[in-house]
Amino acid sequence: MTEARYPQCRIVPVRILGPDTAERLLNAVAGISGIRRLMINGPSLPATVPYGPARGKPNPNTNRTTITVGDTEVKLRVQVGMVTAEVTDASVIAHIKTTCDGIFTTFPYQLQEGQFMKTQPTLTDYAKYGPHADEAFIGLTDPRRKEPPVIIQGLH
Amino acid sequence: MAYTPQYGPGTSIVAENRRNQMNPNHDLEKIRDVTDEDIVMVLGHRAPGSAYPTAHPPLAEQQEPDCPMRKLVKPTDGAKAGDRVRYVQFADSMFNAPSQPYQRTYAEMYRFRAIDPGTLSGRQIVECRERDLEQYTKLLVETEMFDPALVSLRGATVHGHSLRLSEDGMQFDMLQRCVLSNDGVVKYVKDQIGVPLDREVAVGKPMDEAWLKAHSTIFHSLVGTAYRDDREYVEYIQRIHSLRTKYGFMPKEE
Repeated sequence: MTEARYPQCRIVPVRILGPDTAERLLNAVAGISGIRRLMINGPSLPATVPYGPARGKPNPNTNRTTITVGDTEVKLRVQVGMVTAEVTDASVIAHIKTTCDGIFTTFPYQLQEGQFMKTQPTLTDYAKYGPHADEAFIGLTDPRRKEPPVIIQGLH
Repeated sequence: MAYTPQYGPGTSIVAENRRNQMNPNHDLEKIRDVTDEDIVMVLGHRAPGSAYPTAHPPLAEQQEPDCPMRKLVKPTDGAKAGDRVRYVQFADSMFNAPSQPYQRTYAEMYRFRAIDPGTLSGRQIVECRERDLEQYTKLLVETEMFDPALVSLRGATVHGHSLRLSEDGMQFDMLQRCVLSNDGVVKYVKDQIGVPLDREVAVGKPMDEAWLKAHSTIFHSLVGTAYRDDREYVEYIQRIHSLRTKYGFMPKEE
């Protein structure tokens, strides 16, 4: 499993981001060398209405769109509220802070440091991925999802 | 001496706004115009212009039993016509929305007749006869109890009241029932349960931060008035808490 020796940080803007700002942020942050893993969190934007009288009907939503990070297309399933990054050393966090300062000019953000990703698989992870799961992905994806995590390419 | 209701304690602007919304003698400031047809569309209970479906024949056509309460309590228009009972539900952001669920229920109970409100942490639903509902909704949307960005009509899938606002200042809505258009006007593109509308329904421009802070009925230490700053309110709540706790032990007076 991932060792806790890698520093982690979390970018928490005061507002939930629209797809354009999310794209700019992710391109800027993912372009920094020394980032091992990135995770996006935020409230879900389902493709169909999940419950209520309109359950099952399509849910057109301008925030549920495809953004391009590097050369890779990322389908947004959430409205981006937080970006968690695992980096190789603490100097990368300072670099992330400089980058974020340039992006969040109209509203503030917080850059938190700590341990935000799972350090060992839970029972759910074991049930979903089995005993030989790729440890780099544990805790980064919703176990109920069928699609694999996105591998971002074309940045370095 | 005639009884004068106090409606609520507090010396802050939030407390004052709460009292104003509850007091039926206080005229709520009208901020925007929304047509009856637009209200009907957003509610989504019937097609605009169609007749009101009925749950029972009009009262005038029924043999009413000889009942003193029925003589005393005059039926509302909706009850007279035998309308169905339908609902409207509002979700109010915690970031200085002009109203919030408990406040809505208090205000509606003072101002409206023949309603059945349901109060939850992030949403408030009110049920009543259909044509009464449309009138009440119109008042709730057109007056200072509504802000297009921070309050929205959500029949289901209401999640968003406690989340950070979106980048454009709108309350998060999974179903994106209303959008902030380029001209700065908030437009409903879906009805309150999330079914797309035939045309957009404009509900006006979002109010600015200063107005929201001056018209909010929710305490918020970061973006508005802090609860701890209203000493009278704190004292009142502490008194209620103390009395409730002591009564739990069934104290006996000597």
